[in-house]
Amino acid sequence: MAASAARGAMALRRNIDRPVAFVRKIPWTAASSQLKEYFAQFGHVKRCIVPFDKGTGFHRGLGWVQFSSEEELQNALQQEYHIIDGVKESLFRDANGRKAAQSQPVRFTPPK
Amino acid sequence: MAALLRSSCWLLRAGAAPRLPLSLRLLTGGPGRPHAASYLPAARAGPVAGGLLSPARLYVIAAEKKDIQEESTFSSRRIASHFDWALMRLDNSVRRTGRIPKMLLQKVFDDTCRSGGPGSSHALLLLRSCGSLLPELKLEERTEFAHRIWDKLQKLGAVYDVSHYNALLKVYLQNEYKFSPTDFLAKMEEANIQPNRVTYQRLIASYCNTGDIEGASKILGFMKTKDLPVTEAVFSALVTGHARAGDMQNAENILTVMREAGIEPGPDTYLALLNAYAEKGDIDHVKQTLEKVEKSELHLMDRDLFQIIFSFSKAGYPQYVSEILEKVTCERRYIPDAMNLILLLVTEKLEDVALQILLACPISKEDGISDFGGFFLRHCVTMNTPVEKLTDYCKKLKEIQMHSFPLQFTLHCALLAKKTDLAKALMKAVKEEGFPIRTHYFWPLLVGHQKEKNVQGIIEVLKVMQELGVPPDQETYIGYVIPCFNSIKSARAILQENGCLSNSDTFSQAELRSEAVNGNLDFVLSFLESNTLPLSLQSIRSSLLLDYICFCLLLLLQCTIFLSYQITELLYKDGRYCQEPPGPTEAVGYFLYNLIDSMSDSEVQAKEERLRQYFHQLKEMNVKIPENICRGIRNLLDSYHVPELIKDAYMLVDSENLDSQKTVQLRSSELESRLETLKAEDKPIRDVLKHLILALCSQENMQKALELKAKYESDMVIGGYAALINLCCRHDNAEDALSLKEEFDRLDSSAVLDTSKYVGLVRVLAKHGRLQDAINILKEMKKKDVPIKDSTVLSFFHILNGAALRGEIETVKQLHEAIVTLGLAKPSTNISFPLITVYLEKDDLSTALDVAIDCCEKYKILPRMHDILCKLIEKGETDLIQKAMDFVSQEQGEMVMLYDLFFAFLQTGNYKEAKKIIETPGIRARSTRLQWFCDKCIANNQVETLEKLVELTQKLFECDRDQMYYNLLKLYKMNGDWQRADAVWNKIQEENIVPREKTLRLLAEILRDGNQEVPFEVPEWYEDEKHSLNSSLDSSSDSTTEPGLQKDILNACQLKQSKGKSIFCSNIFNIRTVVFIISPWCSTIYYHIRSIAETHIKGFTLNDAANSLLIITQVRRDYLKEALTTLKTALDQQQTPSGTAVTRLIQALAMKGDVENIEVVQKMVNGLEDSIGLSKMVFINNTALAQIKNNNIDVAIENIENMLTSENPVIELQYFGLAYLFRKVIEEQLEPAVEKISIMAERLANQFAIYKPVTDFFLQLVDAGKVDDARALLQRCGAIAEQTSILLVFFLRNAGKQGKVLSYWFRTLFENTKDVTSAKALYEHLTAKNTKLDDLFLKRYAFLLKNAGESVPFTEPPESFEFYVQQLKELRENSS
Repeated sequence: MAASAARGAMALRRNIDRPVAFVRKIPWTAASSQLKEYFAQFGHVKRCIVPFDKGTGFHRGLGWVQFSSEEELQNALQQEYHIIDGVKESLFRDANGRKAAQSQPVRFTPPK
Repeated sequence: MAALLRSSCWLLRAGAAPRLPLSLRLLTGGPGRPHAASYLPAARAGPVAGGLLSPARLYVIAAEKKDIQEESTFSSRRIASHFDWALMRLDNSVRRTGRIPKMLLQKVFDDTCRSGGPGSSHALLLLRSCGSLLPELKLEERTEFAHRIWDKLQKLGAVYDVSHYNALLKVYLQNEYKFSPTDFLAKMEEANIQPNRVTYQRLIASYCNTGDIEGASKILGFMKTKDLPVTEAVFSALVTGHARAGDMQNAENILTVMREAGIEPGPDTYLALLNAYAEKGDIDHVKQTLEKVEKSELHLMDRDLFQIIFSFSKAGYPQYVSEILEKVTCERRYIPDAMNLILLLVTEKLEDVALQILLACPISKEDGISDFGGFFLRHCVTMNTPVEKLTDYCKKLKEIQMHSFPLQFTLHCALLAKKTDLAKALMKAVKEEGFPIRTHYFWPLLVGHQKEKNVQGIIEVLKVMQELGVPPDQETYIGYVIPCFNSIKSARAILQENGCLSNSDTFSQAELRSEAVNGNLDFVLSFLESNTLPLSLQSIRSSLLLDYICFCLLLLLQCTIFLSYQITELLYKDGRYCQEPPGPTEAVGYFLYNLIDSMSDSEVQAKEERLRQYFHQLKEMNVKIPENICRGIRNLLDSYHVPELIKDAYMLVDSENLDSQKTVQLRSSELESRLETLKAEDKPIRDVLKHLILALCSQENMQKALELKAKYESDMVIGGYAALINLCCRHDNAEDALSLKEEFDRLDSSAVLDTSKYVGLVRVLAKHGRLQDAINILKEMKKKDVPIKDSTVLSFFHILNGAALRGEIETVKQLHEAIVTLGLAKPSTNISFPLITVYLEKDDLSTALDVAIDCCEKYKILPRMHDILCKLIEKGETDLIQKAMDFVSQEQGEMVMLYDLFFAFLQTGNYKEAKKIIETPGIRARSTRLQWFCDKCIANNQVETLEKLVELTQKLFECDRDQMYYNLLKLYKMNGDWQRADAVWNKIQEENIVPREKTLRLLAEILRDGNQEVPFEVPEWYEDEKHSLNSSLDSSSDSTTEPGLQKDILNACQLKQSKGKSIFCSNIFNIRTVVFIISPWCSTIYYHIRSIAETHIKGFTLNDAANSLLIITQVRRDYLKEALTTLKTALDQQQTPSGTAVTRLIQALAMKGDVENIEVVQKMVNGLEDSIGLSKMVFINNTALAQIKNNNIDVAIENIENMLTSENPVIELQYFGLAYLFRKVIEEQLEPAVEKISIMAERLANQFAIYKPVTDFFLQLVDAGKVDDARALLQRCGAIAEQTSILLVFFLRNAGKQGKVLSYWFRTLFENTKDVTSAKALYEHLTAKNTKLDDLFLKRYAFLLKNAGESVPFTEPPESFEFYVQQLKELRENSS
């Protein structure tokens, strides 16, 4: 589950043209559905990924939100900070995605 | 030691002051006095008596990176960096929270053990952490931990010195551990370690903690016999001692005794007394004493008050806590101490008091979101505080808005600690508060059970979920429930059985995904094809599912390719799976990309054919992928080294042309002729012209480039102008640069130059006084939005500074104004620096200050404040100082002002004033500012100033003591002052600092250089480094690295200094600058700086080593004339240049054929040869070489022959080595010379029986790989083989690289001579060097040994000689 979700995230990150926001400092109480719910106020959220660590059962506080249009993404980015469950989080356009993905490709070895 | 103690008992009986207790008698007695009086109160770093709360910061930032430029061994470097890492982690923790979490300490400890040999600093660091820094552990556990560390590290080879024993004692004191001091001393004696003053002090404290005055007195008596000073720390301990012995009267009396002994009771003593009262619950006396303290102008810190609070609460008087709490100032900087106290109280099960203190903490509630108090809640969870209390605390914290979500936080802690029951209760509370409970809250609990495959536990959690109304979803099943069971079927069965399967649909979905993940493709395929999907349309469309399918396809492709076609097609064609706009192209594209990405390169290479088939199959199926993804695939394939597959992958893209641009580079001469032809043919020449101009510019040919421009002006393009402008700027040609710029603008007013070209223009214009033009360029830069980089800003600074040094006030002012107002550079101290410089240079302080103030008002920066202040203080301009200070404190705050003033006073030697400043209450360490000043002191070699700084900052809050001492040591090292360095070692102990390895290393180095014994274990890799440093010097300058240079120069400096005439490190020219100058990359700068130095510093000279290095550098850069001059200067100053430098110079001269200058050098160093280790052969060889180079082969040979055959040879024949000459001649392929030399060597051998030259020649031939020539020579002159001594030396030197011809050698050598001893030596040498010996060699050696009647120490190769000869021949043929 975690691996696949991360793969999904990778797919999002690689596509530079897609309106994807990278979210940091997500409180532990929130998972992808809470994120989706919250960001719905800025537009239609197509995908929302918050990978969980299977070893601990907690997520690492990072996630990706994909909107259906650039405009909606800009809506979300305009707000200086976002508060979900009382925790301020940082949100920014995943513009560095391409570079990061190419210089350090995350690799998955499929389970045998 | 114990014996010594006993024998000193009689001393105790001697004194007689009946009414005072034993120890006091000693103190009032005569001889003790002067000591006590002369000793200043000890640092307040460690409260000896109670010792509960964190003493001053033991740890300090270690962020500084190690400058390991030398190749040192891997493991030792790892240990060094590991120490820094450990230190940083522990220190960060202490800084942020005032404590070290147990887990962190454990982790650092484990890592230290795993990293192999722990350094003694590691051990010290870990031991020191086991005391009051672990408030979350019970006292016994802490000591146990310390013992575990002690034993384990000792086993691993850590060497303990007195500092470790002292640290252990400190831990005992802080943990109130009961032990026998006599045993402790015996243990130290056994380990052969001398206790020092600190040891005795702490032993006294330990006796006192148990109320054993008798024991304390014994040690005290012993200290007295040893003439050790009695410090305040001892008195404070005695206060505690008497109090714990139940004798408050005498505890109070100690203060009187102290005064009589000449020590005024300080805060530590009062604190001991206060704690003593608090332990008795005597609030009245506590209050009285506190008042007394206030009146006596002593200052108790919050940390001290916290100790009193703890004493009250632990003794069972929590009712008095609030009264003390009122006195706490609640400054923010004491928060770590408060946290520490809170945790300690929780550990002691005094949670209610802890909460009381937490609530009193000064937390800013401005933004309302910053939470505080988590550490308290977390520790309560760890300590199993009842859930009712916990929820109550949460409510309180929320009410006063200290924490916004305390319940959720506590729940998080409970989940992390896997406390299911507590978590359940907390979740209920959360629900009651009206917050939702989410599925993933349960995952951490499930993970815990899943790891142990605890089915019962899983079921329990699932039941709790049901109970709380949170049904498990797909993720819960897949991620955390199903993996716990053997199969999905059994999971379904068991869950159903236990009534945990309320929603079967969710479970089915989970089942599908789970199967997909496991690669059960049949299941997935049948599922996808079946029309009766158990899933809603929504979830199929969910791209997450698509990801799963891709994922299993990857697996599948590894085994059966067949199914994957089917599924890829299904994905592509079946509308159900790709309804969204990006459509199937993208989905399949991603799939392919991920497919390749997920395979390793070797896998891709192995499956190349299969992938190709797959691509073709997809092509036939008419599957298309987007171009950008294909490019990604191409990159992947490229990185996997299977570019052949790229074209196959590209088939899947709609054909699109790649633009391929060819850039042709031609030389300037070719370009020129081409230009003319084109012109003659009347064809467009712009492009060629541009290239030609660029080529000329790169050749720095300004004249020609300008001519060319004038000739073909109409055909000039932007690029050509840009290059030309830059060229003119480089050549300081302002006129042409400006007119070119104008033409450039005329050509295209919107064109933009490079940033660096604009900067160059500004520089050259400003320099030539064309201020307005320069400003216009700046304006244009702004208008055209030229990108400004850091280097640009730096260039601006240099332009301004240059003008400032020239004293051009207007230029500096206007340019600065323009740069800043245009926004080309943000106003900064750097950029504004020259504004002040220009006035300081003119000694106009008042204006300088005004300008600085003006800068601050305009740009919020204060450039060169320190310099201004120093000058003001020197001149005694009180009014101006006042003005400056008022201004600084108003603009930048009081702290900055205080530091400014502090540094200025220090700098000007007004230490009393400096002391007053740094003792201002509330001032805290600013590490960057302190480091700035330290660096300044070191750079200027201000020993006294730096010592004062270190001394005065001792009590400074949060001061990085180790770093301060490190800086001090750096300076001592520079001056070779081991006595002062030794004093630092004692101070470090007393201040209870964990020195970093670099500090210890530096200290050890200083002590060793001063031929002193090092009293501690030096961190290991120092040795390696030193070794490699030396070796790098030995191997001369070819591999001279910077540390090597630095070391060399440092040594040289010290040498010089001992002679008392070093001006090398005077003032502005510190070592580092000189190293920088002489480093081989900047010898041009060297001249520049030296000329400044010579004009500014009276009698500035470089010393021997520096000059030698300079010569080497100059030779390397082919500045032979300059090198000669340097050598001459050095010799004129009675310096001794190094042999290497002279040799290098001679060799370079020889290669140039410069016979005369070789002679000049020979005359210059005449008489010095022996002292610098220069052989006469150097001159003979090189003179001959130079002559040969000048085609005077016969002269050269004649000279040599004459020397060899003369009756009084200059050099004994066996030392007459011509190898260098031979090698050079062979290397340079001077064939006629080789031939003549060969003839000469043979003649010498045959006619005069001088075999050395011919043998050398033979060996050089072999060395150069001319085996055939060598063989021929050997045949002509068989005597070579008899020169075993020469040959053996050669072998041993070259054994490593000569493996190929070894056997051949061996035969020539040993078969002719049958010299078994030499053969043995050679064999042993080779095996010791791990040289791979071929079978032929071994066979021959064995043969030789057998002939000599000796045993063969290895298995003799079984086949015949011929076999191995053949084998080797084949091998050689194959390899060539």
